[in-house]
Amino acid sequence: MRDWPAAVLARHFFGALFDFGFLSDAGAESFKRLLLGAAAVACGLGLLLVRVFVAKYANLASAPVDRYVAAATADHAFLIALQMWMVAAAVALVGHSLFPDERDFRILMAEPVGRAEIFGAKLAALLVFAALFAAGIYAALLPLFGLSLLGPQGSGGVLSRVAAYSAAGLIADLFAALAVVALHGVLVLIAPRERLVAIGAGARSLFLCLLVLALPMIARLPASANAWTHGAWWLAWAPPAWFTGLERWLLGDGGRFALVLRALTATAATAVIAAASYVILYRRFDRVILRPQARPQAPAGYGRRIASKRHSARQAVLAFVRTTFGRSVLHQGIVLSLMAAGGGLVVNGIVSRDPRGLLLWAPFPLIIIGVPAVRLALSVPIEPRANWIFRMTDDRDVHADVVGAGVRTVFALGVAIPVALVAPFQAVWFGWQALLLVGVESLVGWFLVEWLMRDWRSIPFTCAYVPGKGFVPQMFVRGLGAFIVFTSAGAALLALSVVRPSAAAILWCVLATAGIGLLRRRRRLAADTTLAFEDDLPTEVNPLRLNVD
Amino acid sequence: MLQARGLTKRYGGLLAVDRVDFDLRPGEIVGYLGPNGSGKSTTVNMVVGLLEPTAGSLTLDGLRLSDDPIAYKRRIGYVPEEPHLYTHLTAAEYLTLVGRLRRIAAPVLEARVATLLRLFQLHDSRYQTMTAFSKGMRQRVLVAAALLHNPDLIVLDEPFSGLDVNAGLLFRALLRLLADEGRMIFFSTHRFDMVEKLCSRVVVLSAGRVVLEQPIVAFDRAGAGSLEESFVRATRQADYAPLAREIFDTIRGA
Repeated sequence: MRDWPAAVLARHFFGALFDFGFLSDAGAESFKRLLLGAAAVACGLGLLLVRVFVAKYANLASAPVDRYVAAATADHAFLIALQMWMVAAAVALVGHSLFPDERDFRILMAEPVGRAEIFGAKLAALLVFAALFAAGIYAALLPLFGLSLLGPQGSGGVLSRVAAYSAAGLIADLFAALAVVALHGVLVLIAPRERLVAIGAGARSLFLCLLVLALPMIARLPASANAWTHGAWWLAWAPPAWFTGLERWLLGDGGRFALVLRALTATAATAVIAAASYVILYRRFDRVILRPQARPQAPAGYGRRIASKRHSARQAVLAFVRTTFGRSVLHQGIVLSLMAAGGGLVVNGIVSRDPRGLLLWAPFPLIIIGVPAVRLALSVPIEPRANWIFRMTDDRDVHADVVGAGVRTVFALGVAIPVALVAPFQAVWFGWQALLLVGVESLVGWFLVEWLMRDWRSIPFTCAYVPGKGFVPQMFVRGLGAFIVFTSAGAALLALSVVRPSAAAILWCVLATAGIGLLRRRRRLAADTTLAFEDDLPTEVNPLRLNVD
Repeated sequence: MLQARGLTKRYGGLLAVDRVDFDLRPGEIVGYLGPNGSGKSTTVNMVVGLLEPTAGSLTLDGLRLSDDPIAYKRRIGYVPEEPHLYTHLTAAEYLTLVGRLRRIAAPVLEARVATLLRLFQLHDSRYQTMTAFSKGMRQRVLVAAALLHNPDLIVLDEPFSGLDVNAGLLFRALLRLLADEGRMIFFSTHRFDMVEKLCSRVVVLSAGRVVLEQPIVAFDRAGAGSLEESFVRATRQADYAPLAREIFDTIRGA
């Protein structure tokens, strides 16, 4: 059975889901280390969560049964939501592989393999991927669920409670995975053929963005005990609540039947849509395998006149960056999903901050996440082996200009867009002072860009990338510290600029001077050093100096 | 004139190219031949400045690569062995990118890109990204990009790979024209027929060393003195008939 063509194909497709073609061998190795580091951080946070849960359930031990059940239900909603989120994110990340593509068909149709086997193997690989992911997450979250079993839960023994939670969780994961497949399937079916790739890429970026935006809401679910007690209206609109309702219903809580109905209907509907799109695409496979004829339209950006020869290289790099961002799903995904995390934090802030404080604080989470996100996207290469053309045309005279093109991109996407997004709300609240706020935010953002890009010496998307060069837990702590310091200091400077502009002006001058210093240093460094096309792990050894007197 | 003197490349303990010398004069097309792994592509990469030699020098009309690599590379057009391109760009976008990096003035570049696209029969696909291009189409884009700035030295690594017969004939005629106009053409290939039809001289490399260098007219059309026989003798290739028999026996037994 191992050697059946369908089994061989399924294994091949499964392996391809972990193929990060944009990384070099060294980069892929380092990425594995990064993932292990990230898993270590997640374990650390999980242990922290266990401590929080232990304290919570210790306090609830003597509480009335109703209160305990409501709290446990809210926590179960949180755990189920977390599971659903991770499964949906994983399936969305491999969205490009949900259906066989042109390459699959060009290679496989030449072999004695049927279309049914190709589609079946693809589906099997996806199911195994989603199932492994779901099982891993289920196992990781089980200790937290176990804590909620210790108290007086009303009806049902421990085994039946575990069975109800597991069944509800399994159906919830299935719904999450099928929803992504169904969305993708519908999109492939209804999108105009000539724009299928672009629309698919855009939809995937948007979906990842929405997932990240949902995170702060998921984080609030453990505090939703009251909503469960009083049957809040929003439960009917929150998918994790449907499946938590299913768990309660399986334990004999008849009052949750409306939620059960929604859970089962939604799961069945997504299953039908996913299956139907698979079947339709199976019959009309030309839709996914044959390349559409592009509409004749002039490409944007490349037709613009160039002012001078000196700026020619910078214009070339800027146009290259614009086009790559416009067409590369990977790079869009990096920026959109990370910036959505910032958006999620701002949405979360709506609940906990007063409107004035929120408007003074909101630009900074977006900037501190947006700037590194864009920098990261520029560091990830596109077609790494095609960079020879930049190496051959490398010219020291224009190093500062081409490096500057990357810096300008980071400012435009990581600072200007967040500032522009918040500005209309600030204008409504602060009136004319919003102009001042925009100026100060831009100044702070520019300083951050210059600081983070101070050692940047490559052309965007052309340098091989080795991720995870640092120690991940240390990077996490540093990132968290930078976030807190930057957002607090930025908000404080804005508040001072509104209340006492004359005093704040001194700080503006200091920031501007420091920024200009960094800019000059970067330009000098770029002109003096060669551009980087290869990324390496740090080889510097930090001596312990044990023998120093 | 391009002069390579004592060109050497060492990767750790592996000597890829060992003290290679050759000259390439204006108007000459030199064929650079050698078995797989003989160091041809390494030499090409050093000639175009993508790889730094461990030892030796490259001089183009008196300008040493090590002294001014930018000025040296500005005079070179290069067609790599594999069609490594930014396939998310259209052919026009890619040529414009290359032209701008080569600092060609905008009006000249615009006109030249449009004309080259038409002449290389890429005009109909000008708004398509190169993801959908065949290998031959990508090869034509690379050739157009290599000639865009009217280089003095054209370095070609298997340039006919993927080109159809018509495109191959066009390219051959173009290379001859460029050589007649005084351009230097350095041409690495496995295609003896193309070398015989195009080149004025051949340099044969084996295990990183030059083992044969002579004008094309010195070879007979056929027999022991032909280019192919001379190549096999110079590179000490094995007799392939027994190997072919062994492969045939293996698949027959399968």
